[in-house]
Amino acid sequence: MIGVRSLEKEYHVGDHVVRALRGVTLDIAGGEFVTVVGPSGSGKSTFMHILGCLDRPTRGQYLLGGRDVSTLPHDELARVRNETIGFVFQGFNLLSRTSALENVELPLLYTRKGAVKAAERRDRARRALAAVGLTDREEHHPNQLSGGQQQRVAIARALVNEPSLLLADEPTGNLDTATSHEVMEVFAKLRAERGITIVVITHERDIAAWGTRTIDFKDGVVVSDQQHQPSMGSHTPVSA
Amino acid sequence: MNRLRALHPSIDIGFKALTRNRLQTGLTMLGITVGVATVLAMMAVGAGAQRSIEQQVRAAGLNQLTIKAGNWKPKTEDSGGAVAHQGDAEDTMRLPVEELMPVLPDAGDPFAGAADILPIDFHPEDDPMEKHDHPLAWQRLGDLEAGLGAATTLSFADAEAIRQLPGVQYVAGGVHGNARVHYRPDGAPEKRWFTRMHGTDLHLLDIKRTWTLRSGRFFTEEEQDDKAMVLVLGSVVAEKVFGEKVDPVGKELMLWNQNFRVIGVVTSASWVVRPAAGDDEFDAVYMPYTTTHQLLNLTKLNDITVTASSTGEVSDVSKRITELLRQRHNITNEKPDDFTISTQATRAITTGGLPPNVAAAIAGNVKELERVTLEQLAGTLERASGTMRWLLAAVAAVSLLVGGIGIMNITLLSVTERTKEIGLRMAVGARGRDVTRQFLTEAVAISLAGGAVGVVLGLVASYLISSTLRWATVVSPGSVLIAFGVSAAVGVLFGWYPARRAAELDPIDALRHE
Repeated sequence: MIGVRSLEKEYHVGDHVVRALRGVTLDIAGGEFVTVVGPSGSGKSTFMHILGCLDRPTRGQYLLGGRDVSTLPHDELARVRNETIGFVFQGFNLLSRTSALENVELPLLYTRKGAVKAAERRDRARRALAAVGLTDREEHHPNQLSGGQQQRVAIARALVNEPSLLLADEPTGNLDTATSHEVMEVFAKLRAERGITIVVITHERDIAAWGTRTIDFKDGVVVSDQQHQPSMGSHTPVSA
Repeated sequence: MNRLRALHPSIDIGFKALTRNRLQTGLTMLGITVGVATVLAMMAVGAGAQRSIEQQVRAAGLNQLTIKAGNWKPKTEDSGGAVAHQGDAEDTMRLPVEELMPVLPDAGDPFAGAADILPIDFHPEDDPMEKHDHPLAWQRLGDLEAGLGAATTLSFADAEAIRQLPGVQYVAGGVHGNARVHYRPDGAPEKRWFTRMHGTDLHLLDIKRTWTLRSGRFFTEEEQDDKAMVLVLGSVVAEKVFGEKVDPVGKELMLWNQNFRVIGVVTSASWVVRPAAGDDEFDAVYMPYTTTHQLLNLTKLNDITVTASSTGEVSDVSKRITELLRQRHNITNEKPDDFTISTQATRAITTGGLPPNVAAAIAGNVKELERVTLEQLAGTLERASGTMRWLLAAVAAVSLLVGGIGIMNITLLSVTERTKEIGLRMAVGARGRDVTRQFLTEAVAISLAGGAVGVVLGLVASYLISSTLRWATVVSPGSVLIAFGVSAAVGVLFGWYPARRAAELDPIDALRHE
C-alpha cells in the first residue's frame, strides 16, 4: 500500500536548514492500523504530511498504491488527496454554521472522476454519518455537537469518498480520555469492516496501543517499529 | 455541470461570509452601487440624446418644406458657375433699421411710387454717413425695397392655392424683418429690444411642433382677418423686456410706434433647442401677416412654409407645388423658377458647409438627405450631452475604483479569516482553481448585489435628470445588463488578487493557521 524509500525533508528557516526527516524507509501494508509516536519535532507530523500528499519530500521516494507520488504536480496531488486519502485533524476542522451533513459532503464537491449529483452526495454523506453512528445529528451544526461527535463528523467526512488510506493527526488531542477511546474504536471498527489502512499520529501511549503496529520517530528517523496485537479490539466495550 | 454544482455551495458559503460582515459588506457595496448607478445614468443620457435626435427629426419636420421667394441653386460643375447665391429674400431683408422712424400706416408718403424709378442696385441706406430721417424704407418703397421686390413673387393667393393641393397638411405664409419693440411701464424707464419680426399665419403653431405656448395663446382666424394689433412673443423677448417672472400676456408693447397687445408667449418644448438671444424663433415676435401687410403696405410673402401629410410625400408635394407656382407665375418652359423650395434636409446640406457640387450630388436622394440631417442633429446633441456624460463617466470611474478596492479589501479579509477553511478544502481535494473560484464568486456576489442596488439607484437618477434638468434619458434593458456586467467585471477584476492569494496558500500552513 505505502512504501517510502530514504525519505528526507528539509525546511529553510532563515539561514538555517532544518532537517525534519533524515532518511526514512518503511512499508505499510493494506489494512494495517499504524500509530506513529514520538516527541515534538521528531518529524512525525512531517512524515504524515508527506503521506497525505500535502507536502513533497526533498529527497527520496513515496510510493502510494505502487505509484510514485513524490513528484506529482499540485493538481494531481489534490486529486490523490480527494480520491485516495481521508484526513482527520486534531481540531476537527469542521465548517461552522454548516450542518454535519454538508460538512461530510465537502470532499464530494471536488471529485473529478465523474459528476456526483446533489442527491447522491446527500445519500453518501448520510451513509458516512451512519457509519460513525450519527444518523440523528445530520442537521446539527458543529457548535451543537460535543467534541467526540464533532470528531466523528470529521471521520465521516474523511470516509465519504471511500478512501483506501485514512490519516489522523492527533485525532484525540482535544478530547477527554473516554471520548478518545470512542473515537479510536470507530477507527478500529472501520479497519475491521472495510479493511482501510489507518495511520494515526499520537503522543499518548494508550492511544497508540489501539494500533497493530507502532512506529517511533525521533530526530527525523525511525527509532523503533513494532508489530503488536491491538490492546483493545473493536469488540471490547468502552469503559469510562 | 459538475462545476456548476460545485459553484452552488460556494455561493452559499460566500453569502454566509457576507452576512457575517454585514457592515463591511454594505460599505463595500456602496462604492459599486454608486458606480453602477452613474454608469446607468450615463448610458441613459446617451440613449436619451439618441432618442431625442429621432424625435427632433420627426418633430422638426422632415415633412416640412419651405418655399422662398427668389431662385437659389447650388453651384455645380456643369452649370459653368453662372448660378450662385442670388441671396434669398430673407438675407436681403436684414436691413440696418436701428434708426427706423416711427410712422403711421396712413401717413402721407411722399416717396410712394419710388420703387418704379429707383434703380434696383441702388439702396438709399447703403451710405453709412446718411442720416436716416426718412420714413420707414419698407413703407416708403413698398414691396420692392423690402426685399419683396423683383425677386419676390410669392403671394397670399399662392399660399391659398398650395393649401388646396393633395398631400398638403398645413400652410403658413410669412413675411419677416427686424424690429425694435418698446415697453413703457408706468413711471419706469422705457425698455427696448431689437429683435426679429415675423408676420405669419395662424397655422404656424401647427407646423412648429417643437414649440409650446408658455402662456396665453396664438392668434385666431378672426384676429388674422381683422388685422388685429396682437403680438405673440418669443420667450427671449418676453424675458428681456418684461423680466423672467412677469407674464406679459395682456400687456401693451410698442412696435413701429404702434400699440400691440401681447396675447401669448411661445417657447421651445424641446431640450435640444434652447431659446437664446439672437435666434430666429424665440428672440422674435409674431403677428398675423395681415397686420404686417397692412402696417408696412406690403402684398407679398417672403416665404411659405408647408408641411406634407407624411414624410414620404415630401418629394411629391414639392413637385406639385413647383408645377402649381410655375403655372401661377406664368413661367414658360425655358425660364427658371422664381422661387426655391427647400426641405429640412436640403437646408441642412446647404448650410452645412458642403461644397456646392457635393451638395448637388447629394440633392435628390432623399434617404441620403435624411441621413445627413440626422447626423447634423446628432452632432449638436453629442456636444450638448457630452459634458454631462464626461462628468458621469468620471464619477463612475472613481466610484467603481473605490468600490473595487473595497471589494479587494473585504475579500482579503475573508481569505485571512478563513485560511483554515482553505487548508481543509485543499486537504479534501480542492485544487487551486477551486479555491480561486470560491473567492471570486464571493467578490462577484458582493459587486452584483451592489450592482443591483445601483441599477435601482441609476433608474432613480435617470428619472431625476430628466425631471429636473429636462434632459431626455432612456434606460433600456440592454443598458441595465451592461451595468450589471460592469459590476460583475469589477468583482472579477478586484477579487482576482485575493482569490489567487488564497489559492497559492500552502495547505499545511493554512491548516495550522489560527
